[in-house]
Amino acid sequence: MAADLKPMLDGIFEVGPPPRLLGAECPICKQKFFPKPIVCPHCLEDVKEIKLNTEGTVYSYSILRIPNKLYQFPQPYASGYVDLDNDNIRVYCLFDPEKAEEIRIGQRVTLRVGQIGIGLDGKECLRYYFTPVDGGEK
Amino acid sequence: MRDVDIIGIGMFPFGVHKTTPLVEMGVRAAIDAIKDAGVKPSQVNIGFFANMQAANLTKEFTTGQTVMWGAGINKIPVFNIENACTSGASATTLAMMSIASGQYDIALVVGAEKLNVPFIPLLNPSLRDINVLEGNVVINGFAQRAVRHMHEYGTTKEQLAMVDVKNRKHALLNPMAKFFNKPVTIEEVLNAPMMADPLTKLMCCPNSDGAAALVLCAAEISRRFTSKPIHLKASVLVSGIFDEVPDMQTFEEDQRASRIAYETAGLGPEDVSAVECHDAFTICEIMHTENLGFCPIGEGGPFVESGATSLGGKIPVNVSGGLLGKGHPLGATAVSQIVEGVIQLRGEAGARQVEGAKVFLAECMGAELRGDAKTCTVNILTV
Ligand SMILES: [Zn+2]
Repeated sequence: MAADLKPMLDGIFEVGPPPRLLGAECPICKQKFFPKPIVCPHCLEDVKEIKLNTEGTVYSYSILRIPNKLYQFPQPYASGYVDLDNDNIRVYCLFDPEKAEEIRIGQRVTLRVGQIGIGLDGKECLRYYFTPVDGGEK
Repeated sequence: MRDVDIIGIGMFPFGVHKTTPLVEMGVRAAIDAIKDAGVKPSQVNIGFFANMQAANLTKEFTTGQTVMWGAGINKIPVFNIENACTSGASATTLAMMSIASGQYDIALVVGAEKLNVPFIPLLNPSLRDINVLEGNVVINGFAQRAVRHMHEYGTTKEQLAMVDVKNRKHALLNPMAKFFNKPVTIEEVLNAPMMADPLTKLMCCPNSDGAAALVLCAAEISRRFTSKPIHLKASVLVSGIFDEVPDMQTFEEDQRASRIAYETAGLGPEDVSAVECHDAFTICEIMHTENLGFCPIGEGGPFVESGATSLGGKIPVNVSGGLLGKGHPLGATAVSQIVEGVIQLRGEAGARQVEGAKVFLAECMGAELRGDAKTCTVNILTV
């Protein structure tokens, strides 16, 4: 992974290793969030940044077969929702571009960070993605 | 609060209109509606213009005033409304409120959209949205819903295809649906190019251009203009919850908006004669028939397969052709759904007339935030 690549947005994840998604917890109502909101929408109080669990289960997914040139994503690519262990948070994510065809509901997946597509500035950047825990078929 | 009627309708056909400007489509629909209502431009008290993409695609803004003046309407308050696919229904809700409040007597609603420009980008609610940055585009959200719906309920890809076959067949009976001119088979739908599994190109509505318009009037004076006013019994707009990403095999917004609308109208799903819903993707219609209460949750697939939602069936859905058959000119779409309701309840739908239609429901849904629909609308019309 090239050292000069930056995350597609600041404050979303730590590159690591190990990579971690940066969420938030409300000190009052204890609800957890991803991404970090400006304030807790229930209490309107500042939230505390927390590192989220790196493993979870695929809730649903899709494989986009048409080009998405907006951020120069691979074609095809898989994305969808993962339910993170213990945190009780469902996060939207890319899935491993090398394993797009292998993703299934209920699959155990783990967090990675790598160069995928370009960022808001049009330059290559880092994105978080999930890959099968057992390494998949490939 | 005062009762509100619909006394005029107009449409500029939905299709590909490369050389017709947005404003002209809107003006033509507006003029048809005020002529149909028998009102003069000077009798319109307030105007609402629905559009989603003009600022983005054709670099226009405050188009509503231009459209209204094109139809001879000036001086009055005019609002430009953007609420994604529900822009037109949201404009209708505002028009209804403005009349029900007693402040205005006659309102004009126009929805218009021009999508067939040289480059049509994939739609995104915000470039900085974390989900968009992680690869979400509109079709992904609905493909993920379809994957989950199939997983939970055993919905089949053939059932997903049947929705398109049905709505394309309906569209052939609608002179305002110009996008397609032939029916399709289940095999053609299934064998069309894959967009986002399991959704093939023919399970997605196409981009069409067009416009639609309504004249709303205080019920206490509507008979001055028409002997057949159609009653707008409920016009509901809700937003999503957005708090925790929801389960994707149901539409909570549909359930909530329709419950409010049924209660307001004093009616239930069993009273509805015909439905237009937001069939942007075939999975959407299957889910709407469940979540609006026309069949049990999870049985939308078998329901379309049974023929219940076809013209002549128990509860015909998207008899106009829907978005799949007419195309989806975003700002015009939800207005056109209500136009179809008026045509059906007047008994003027010709070959696509739902026999004895007395109660009509229009549902629309737009944009997504954290897995919830940002906007959802339900309108109920009666004879
Ligand atoms: Zn809180």
